[in-house]
Amino acid sequence: MRILVIEDEPKTGDYLLRGLAESGFTVSLARNGRDGLHMATTETPDLIVLDVMLPMMDGWQVLRALRQQAAGADVPVLFLTARDEVQDRVKGLELGADDYLVKPFAFAELVARIRTLLRRGPPREDEFIRIGDMEIDVMKRKVSRRGQRIALTAKEFGLLHLLARRQGEVLSRQTIASQVWDINFETDTNVIDAAIRRLRSKLDDPFEPKLIHTLRGMGYVCELRAQ
Amino acid sequence: MKASHSLTLRVTMVFVLIVVLLSAGLGVYLYRSFVMEIERRDDILLLGKMRQIQQLLGNAGTLDIIRERPQYFRDTMSGQENSLVRIVRADGTRLIDVNPHDENLVLPPPVAFDAPLTARDIVSWTSRDGHPARLVVASARIGQPAQMADISVARVYGDRSAMFAAYRWQIVIAVAVSAVLAALLAALMLRRGLRPLHSIAAHAALVRPGKLEQQLDARGAPTELLPLIGALNAMLARLQEGYARLSQFSADLAHEFRTPVTNLLGQSQVMLARPRSSGEYEQLVSSNVEELERLSRMIDSMLFLARAQHEEMLPDKQALQIEEEFARLADFYEGLAEERQLALACHGSGTVLAEPQLLRRALGNLLSNAIRHATPGSSIVLCADASLEHGMTLSVSNIGPAIAAQHLPHLFERFYRADPSRTDSAASSGLGLAIVKAIMALHGGEASVMSEAGSTTFALRFPV
Repeated sequence: MRILVIEDEPKTGDYLLRGLAESGFTVSLARNGRDGLHMATTETPDLIVLDVMLPMMDGWQVLRALRQQAAGADVPVLFLTARDEVQDRVKGLELGADDYLVKPFAFAELVARIRTLLRRGPPREDEFIRIGDMEIDVMKRKVSRRGQRIALTAKEFGLLHLLARRQGEVLSRQTIASQVWDINFETDTNVIDAAIRRLRSKLDDPFEPKLIHTLRGMGYVCELRAQ
Repeated sequence: MKASHSLTLRVTMVFVLIVVLLSAGLGVYLYRSFVMEIERRDDILLLGKMRQIQQLLGNAGTLDIIRERPQYFRDTMSGQENSLVRIVRADGTRLIDVNPHDENLVLPPPVAFDAPLTARDIVSWTSRDGHPARLVVASARIGQPAQMADISVARVYGDRSAMFAAYRWQIVIAVAVSAVLAALLAALMLRRGLRPLHSIAAHAALVRPGKLEQQLDARGAPTELLPLIGALNAMLARLQEGYARLSQFSADLAHEFRTPVTNLLGQSQVMLARPRSSGEYEQLVSSNVEELERLSRMIDSMLFLARAQHEEMLPDKQALQIEEEFARLADFYEGLAEERQLALACHGSGTVLAEPQLLRRALGNLLSNAIRHATPGSSIVLCADASLEHGMTLSVSNIGPAIAAQHLPHLFERFYRADPSRTDSAASSGLGLAIVKAIMALHGGEASVMSEAGSTTFALRFPV
């Protein structure tokens, strides 16, 4: 999947380039709006990450011009803004952006949003998820490891299901709070940590290998790692 | 936009208009009474002349004098006023006709000899050169034996018209002069009268952000300006309070930012001072991320507070089931509470009119605090209490060390910490309760706290 990042701030541009490349995307970077628009039409990326505050031609102008061209009318655009004003968000979405993030944002959150946009449409719901020796029967809400049934509460199951169906993807605490509990504001991060600890005590503590991993400063990821 | 008017100009114009109207009215009145008086006196003189002639003609020998010395008689009759006199005998012969300018006299019927003469018998006419004139005709006996004759006496008042015209001019000039004087005086008085306004303006020009404590001086100001000065002083006081709070807030903010930035800078510099293992670098970066997340959360909270205070956020209120909201939050915090051996209990039901995310955020902040400060093994109680008088009150209570009374009034202030040395400042931004207060203000309600005898209760009161 090819991603075009249009961002003028040098450090931000550099880390987005590196981070997204390491997350498995092919990334190109434009450092101003004019180059960005040119690259968007010539390179036909699968998704564009667009900063609003750009020299010469700002993000809104790029977006407007892009949407008027045949080559860029459909490409998903995620815009980045430093001003968390309602008008800004509305303006971006009206101009045809697909999603937005307010600076400062967690990198994991950006990757998660990009993946969601690239999936396009509702994610396919697997009825069975298998990670290593863990099996999840989504319909019956049953979890087992090595064939041994693990009893989980509804929220524990919800948490595990989220981590498992987005296997390999780092989920920030905020994403987890929002997806599992529908809590969409800054909260005590300890709450999510406590929930993960409880899930681990049932799922990982009695078994090897561990499936839920902490990425310090980023969040949690569920995957089978090589020993 | 309409151009602004000078108050002095407007008041002066009005004043001049009033003076002109009054003096012109007075002038017209005086002129008319003067004219009427003069005309009345002239009529009396005319009638007097008529009586004089009647009497003269009645005397024996008058007819002889007329015949012998007609010129003398004519002069006597006409007098100094150059009256027109005509005496016509019953047989139609003109005994005397003094009419030097050959005026065309249209004679009314004569007043009978024995009837009294009044001003009503006088008729007006106009002379050949256009001057007003008066005429009276009466019968008289003439000579011995008496014969009847008609006497006509008339006068042309040429000098009178000129006098009236001069008088009119004088009035016009007087009105004009008084208008000019009125304008000058009004402008002068207004300048003097508005001097307190100028001094207020001069004082207001001195007001600077750092000098808001200077109040306007009400001494010597006219009563009418006292409310304005009072209002301006009240405004200055409010501005000063807001400014002081803002200054304090900026200072607090800088201070709050200093700690994480110091950590970031310090630990990064220490690590860079010599080569480290990749594990150590990883450790550093993770620690940096934690500090930065803290800063990021603080920025989010600050922006939230800034927007809430500018009332940009108009909450989209909905009727929310309290039981559901309590259950949702209890569900979210349950894990954390359980780890600290705390039980969560929810009491009460009903609906509350609130924006769901804001309500959850406020209750969530209170619950976080309660869990942090509760004595392990105790219960945290969420309670809903509806009353007709106070509306819906949602409260969060925990058992734990009571908060000292002197801290209670300040708990909802930004960055206020009851215990400044507390080590868990990393976990709390010091803005949680300020956000709760702002959310309640947006809903037109209020947040309060009660802490005594080992129990602390935060209450959110929503208006009826």
